Parts: sequence; structure tokens; C-alpha cells
Amino acid sequence: MLTRNIEALILASDEPLSFDKLRALLEPVESSDVREALNTLENHYADRGIQLKKIANGWQFRTAPACANIVEQLWQTRPPRLSRSILETLAIIAYQQPTTRAEIEVLRGIKVSSSIIAGLLERSWVKVLGRKDVPGRPHLYGTSKQFLSDFGLNSLQDLPDSAQLMDINETQQEALELPEPSQTTEYNNHD
Amino acid sequence: MDNTVEAEIQQLHLAGMETALPNLPPVQLDAFEGPLDILLHLIRKQKMDVFDIPMATITSQYLNIIDSNKNLDVDVAGEYLVMASTLMQLKSRMLLPRQEVDEEGNEIDPRDALVAQLIAYEHYRMLAEELDEFPRMQRDVFKRSIFPESDNVERPLPEADLDALLSAFGQVLKRMKSEVLHRVILETMTVRQQIQFVTESLQQGSMSFHELLHDHQNREALVTTFLAILELWRQHVIQVIQTHHHACITLMLSISTQADKARI
Repeated sequence: MLTRNIEALILASDEPLSFDKLRALLEPVESSDVREALNTLENHYADRGIQLKKIANGWQFRTAPACANIVEQLWQTRPPRLSRSILETLAIIAYQQPTTRAEIEVLRGIKVSSSIIAGLLERSWVKVLGRKDVPGRPHLYGTSKQFLSDFGLNSLQDLPDSAQLMDINETQQEALELPEPSQTTEYNNHD
Repeated sequence: MDNTVEAEIQQLHLAGMETALPNLPPVQLDAFEGPLDILLHLIRKQKMDVFDIPMATITSQYLNIIDSNKNLDVDVAGEYLVMASTLMQLKSRMLLPRQEVDEEGNEIDPRDALVAQLIAYEHYRMLAEELDEFPRMQRDVFKRSIFPESDNVERPLPEADLDALLSAFGQVLKRMKSEVLHRVILETMTVRQQIQFVTESLQQGSMSFHELLHDHQNREALVTTFLAILELWRQHVIQVIQTHHHACITLMLSISTQADKARI
């Protein structure tokens, strides 16, 4: 019964349903039982047209990527391809956050046009975290929950290759010639 | 592209021309994401060692590419030219005996900064490709939703339907809680009167449905006013707008009605 209830709750929810929310809704069920039921469901759907995925720290049903070609026929329009400039800018923001436009430009070796930043903000993949406490007080950008959700990530730790990234961090710091972010960064979160 | 930029390229180009080049297929700058992208393309394509870049060869190849793209946008030309001069500078520094040493007395390779930049950029270029391959919402995976196509499509204000109006009216009646008596009464109010009342009220601007019925305390007045609203709506004298399900219903004079009044 617990498995069925969880399945129904996740299907009916518009947003990914967090573990804590699930447990609260299912009071007085034990956490371990909820975890076990989620595990059962996840395995149950592993080979189906819909899958149970943990996204942005919540559980959600999504169609299987293998079915994409069929499912997309439901709609007239297909999402536009993302340009390399958008993807590279997004990747840099995802790994270097919080980061400024100037820092992105140093890494890409070319100007980052306003339309790229505006496009990422409009898709809500990127948000302004605050301002950097340097002359000009530039915006500090970071990725949003929407970014995790749209790229099917549970957390930023799921981004590819972060271990390898640590190895070249030193090279990057050299390239950027930046002081330690902790000393210069000041967050004015306005979310 | 303006003449000074062109002249500058020409100058750089001449300065870098003394090395014989392997023939590379022509490339379009549009295909690249900036100077670093071009350099990586040249280095990887020719299987060069990124830690030991042959500056003379790379410099002339780079200048060739820039040169063959004469209609380079002046806005982006700057970055390509800065890289061209960096390459020229590195090339000449490589020709000099090494004099630069760090604190521990080791020689500093003048190419170090450029190499670091190239490696960092190549890494992000790769990460960007991987990111693109992640199953993406609305491209590879889909979830259950009411408007799956997009959130940023502009939608006109939806017109409320009759059901919404009737159920709103039902709520108003329920709120009254007055006792219902079966009694024959004289019609003290006519739909015609109420039509006038509604149009006059809306002259001031739009009003919500509940606001409009607020002053009517008995069932007869409510019903008559409601009939008046339906009649006006049918004749397109007024517009009925509801932004989403269960939202407040707004009434306003149609634009054509307002124009008529203005003309009078």
C-alpha cells in the first residue's frame, strides 16, 4: 500500500516531490520504509516508458529518453538546439559559480554577449546570486534549481567530470589570475 | 570591415609569413567560438603537443585564417587581433635566449599563460558538450504538464466561459444565506434597468464580478443584474476576463463600446 501511495503522490505532484515532503505526507510511516518503497518503484520503472528519477532533490516521473523521438511528435515545435556559446557559458557558470561575466570571458577568450546571459536568465537556468565586491560591482551568476531539473540532475555533484576539474584548478587560477573568491566575494542574495 | 583593422591584419600577417605551411582546409570563423577555439582546432588537428606549441607555425596559420575571413565583424575582430599580437609576441620571445626565471631560478616558458588558458578552455568546451548530451527536459525527456510546449509563449488573456461565470454566481448566492420563500412578487426591477446600471458602473473602468454584485442584497436584484451581464456579454458590449482557473472574474466595456462612447 505504501508503494502505491508514494507512486500516486509523485504522479499527482507538479514539482519533484522531496523525500521529506513524502515522509511528512505519509506520517507516521518510517523513513526507512519510504526509502525502501522508493527503491522498489525505481527498479520497477527502470525498463518502462516512464521512469522514476531523483531530480533537484525530489522524485519525479519522466518519460524515458529512449522514447523521445515518439513523444516529441505530440507537439508541433521542437526545442531549438543550444548554441555552443550558450552551452560553454552555462558550463562555466555551473562549475565556477559564483562567477562574473568578466571571468567567463577570460575562460572563453572572447566577449560574452548580453544576449547569451539574457537567454540563460530567461530560461531560468542561471540566476544572479549577488554582486562581487570589486570595482563596478559586477553580477555574480550561478545555476538555478530549474537548471538541475531541466538537465535531469539531482545536485551539482552530478555534473560530469568534477574530479578531473579539481586537477586543473591550479592551471585555471593561473589563467584567471584571480584572488581567492572567499576574500572578495560578498553575497547579497535577493532570491 | 574598416580599413584600419584590415591594415593591421595585413601587417601582422606579413610579419608572420616566413614559415612554410602545410595546406589546411579553409575554415570559416563563424564555426569558431573565438581565438582559443581556433588555436585548439589547429593544435588538435595537427596533433601538436599543447605544452610545446610550435609558435611560428601556429602564428602563421592563425593569421592565415583571420586573413581569409575579410568580412570579420568589427565588434569581434578585436579579440582575434589581440590573440594575433599575443602570438606574435610569444613567437619573438621564443627566439630570444631565456632570461625570465621564477623565484626558484627555473626558466619560465613564455607560453605558460597561453597553455593554461587553452587547457582551461578545452576543458570547458568538453564539459559543454557533455552537458548538451544530458537527457534534457522537453528535448529527451518529458513530464506530465498542462502546457508542455513552453512557459514563455505569450498567451492572450483568456475569456472566461459561461460555466465559470455561472459558478461564480452560484457562490454569490450561497454567500447570501437568505431564506428562500415562495412568494409571488411584483417585478420591481427590470433587466433593462440593470443593463443601464452595469454599463454605467463600468464607465469608471473595469470591475470584478463580485464588486459589481456587492451592493445587491436580495436574490431578485442579484438574478436581474446577472441576467443583465449575460445580455451585455452576448451583445459584445462588455468583455468578461478570467486570467486562470478560479481567478477573479473581471468585467469591462469592450474596446469597441469605449470607442463608440468616445465618438459621442
